[in-house]
Amino acid sequence: MDLLIALVGLRFRLEARAIAGSRGRKLGLVVALPALALFSALSALAAFALVRLVSRADPGLLLPVLSAVATLVGLSFVLSPLFAGIAATETHDLSRLMPYPVPLATLVASSLVANLLQPTVLAQLPPLLALALALGGPRLPLAFVGLGLGLLLVIAAGQTVGIALHALSRNRRVHDRVLFAGIGLGVLLSLAPVLVLSRGGSAARRLLMTLLERDVFVLSPFAWSARAAVHAGRGDVLGFLGWSAAAAVALLSAVGLSTAIAGRLYRGELDTGEAGGRSARARIRLPGAIGALVEKDLRVSWRDPRLKAVTLSGVVGPLLLLFLLGQGSSGVGPLQLLLVASIAGLGSVGSNALALERQGLGLLFGFPVDRLVLLVGKNAALVVMRAPVLLSLSLAALVIAGPVVAPAVATVVLLAQVLASAADNYVQVLFPIPMPAAGRDPNAPIAGTRGLAAAAVSLIAMTATLAVIAPFAFLAWLPQLLGETWLFVLTLPLALAGACAVYFMATSGAARLLVRREPELLSRLRGDE
Amino acid sequence: MSDSAARPTPDDGYAIVVEGLTRRFRRQTAVDHVTFRVARGRFFGFLGPNGAGKSTTIRMLTGLLRPSAGDAVIEGARLSGDLLALKRRIGVLTEDLALYERLTGEEHLLFAARMHGLAPAEARRRTLELLEFLTLADERGKLVVDYSQGMRKKLALACALVHGPAVLFLDEPLNGIDPVSGRVVMDLLRRLTARGVTLFFTSHVLDVVERLCDEVAVIDHGRIVAQGTLDEIRAQRELGGGASLEDVYLKLVAADVTREDLSWIS
Repeated sequence: MDLLIALVGLRFRLEARAIAGSRGRKLGLVVALPALALFSALSALAAFALVRLVSRADPGLLLPVLSAVATLVGLSFVLSPLFAGIAATETHDLSRLMPYPVPLATLVASSLVANLLQPTVLAQLPPLLALALALGGPRLPLAFVGLGLGLLLVIAAGQTVGIALHALSRNRRVHDRVLFAGIGLGVLLSLAPVLVLSRGGSAARRLLMTLLERDVFVLSPFAWSARAAVHAGRGDVLGFLGWSAAAAVALLSAVGLSTAIAGRLYRGELDTGEAGGRSARARIRLPGAIGALVEKDLRVSWRDPRLKAVTLSGVVGPLLLLFLLGQGSSGVGPLQLLLVASIAGLGSVGSNALALERQGLGLLFGFPVDRLVLLVGKNAALVVMRAPVLLSLSLAALVIAGPVVAPAVATVVLLAQVLASAADNYVQVLFPIPMPAAGRDPNAPIAGTRGLAAAAVSLIAMTATLAVIAPFAFLAWLPQLLGETWLFVLTLPLALAGACAVYFMATSGAARLLVRREPELLSRLRGDE
Repeated sequence: MSDSAARPTPDDGYAIVVEGLTRRFRRQTAVDHVTFRVARGRFFGFLGPNGAGKSTTIRMLTGLLRPSAGDAVIEGARLSGDLLALKRRIGVLTEDLALYERLTGEEHLLFAARMHGLAPAEARRRTLELLEFLTLADERGKLVVDYSQGMRKKLALACALVHGPAVLFLDEPLNGIDPVSGRVVMDLLRRLTARGVTLFFTSHVLDVVERLCDEVAVIDHGRIVAQGTLDEIRAQRELGGGASLEDVYLKLVAADVTREDLSWIS
């Protein structure tokens, strides 16, 4: 027991020290705790109201509805290590404690207890109490015991998934794939509300009703404790005992599975193999330093799951905007397409491409390459990486407005990207933002780097870029406004050439600035200053 | 950057001329008016305890960190002048091994060669030769993220060598490298100095420094406390001819190595 207390205490001390050591985290805690309390209170109200509402409307639906809610909550906890990225499952990393003569079961138990005492978990107690009150009335304690078993099961299952992910992450290739899958799933889920609120929502509602009518969620172990609580409330002691026993078995299985995985993992029995290598000869096909830089950036971004996710998710924003505009009564017209094309190109502002070099920046700055070439290479790589935006919008334009408008949309996206890259060069050199270490979320905050000032700089840069884009976009779009679409043959190359001229003038200035500030920039991005 | 009083002049006999080089980080002075010269083709050992200012000096001399004061001339290229000209002449192996983790070893070396302006065919030839030489050929298709520390060090060293620099700055090049590769690297470095390449070398392995280096400088708390050949330093510090570099070093950094025994370990 002393060991257990010491281990839980150690975890809390480490977490407290991590918060105390960072002003950003302290501030985050000050904001998060009241928000968590409010969320907890609102969840309690919602839980109470849900039970009362369903009990009155259709008592037969109470069990399926509560089972579905319990399953949803359970799945969200279980998948949270995946969404947070494998790096966040360090909380499940017991390897540092393995050299000590402590039984594995004690280590797993200490991790479980520490997880149970987390504020996010404690915040679940008021909703559980409200549920127990709504379900149990005078039999509140019994109903609460049932629901408490459910909470334990959720945390234990989350721990099992966390330890399993940690085991998988020992193989870098598997780690990358799981990380990418987690990020992709997170993006898809974040889009779910939009889809539900749009035309696809009715199908989702029908599917949910069918699942509830057939009581499919009875198969989910997370639902068993909720069913125990419902039976307790109805005075059905046998039903309560039966479902509680099932939930207890699920809980013990989860803890046993955690211990077994941890045991096999740390004794080296869970070998996920070594990452293999490529057998083909490496080549850099594009010519010159710009070509080498473009190929390097493309390869690095494609192989780094986080960078790949950032690149691909850049496509989602413009398409979502197009989708939302399409939901309006008038649908998407040429003007909306122009707007989306201009905004899509702005995505290059705030790319932080130099900082994304991370430790490689020292190597990059060590090369005797003209800094204009270096910036052009980095910008060209970004434009190529954002090609999916250009292609998808061109395709959308082709479908929506026909083959005449599609090249104009593509040109506006491209010239906007080129001009945004020029603006971004200044932002990167004048206001560099350090990058989290490799493997961490590139957009994660580093103390004192992503505050209001950084947001203001990005906003100003975007506004300035929009102002610079406007005349070129107007030139590109002029034939559409005049109804003389044959003029696109002249205006599109002209607009693009003009944008490129402005880009080179601006980037030459940024390159001279880079030469003057290079060591300071490196120091800032390395976190030396 | 520099005070006008400390402007070294290029000298035909010297590959590295450093005058009053200083770097301050807020209130701390990491490198304090460091001055020294290294003759062309010499193997120069730069020694000092952890945090003494070795890596900071290397980062300044390679143009990766701006000095607070002072200047240097490396193979005729002034630190306060055209940094690209300086970077064409040098090869650098930094302590933090600046590498792209998501390139394969072969891609990485090929990329470094191309960024140094080598023609594709020449870049490929040197890449393959270096991979073979540093026993990385079998691992050439692996991503750097999957490399061991020793393999990373060898790859970083290959990147520093690929363009055939006149001056090599090597920060702890043998740290983490297996004994066989260590011997190969040491032999290579010896041959390079014989061909006129100047080596600026830091290491904590003093017997290696003693065997390899023609000349050493010892930095402590940001200041040079001794410089010269080992014999010269022995004479300066009135140490006998039998004193090893380790004895000299411990005396120079005034390190007390006597400790109470841990009696509870049986």
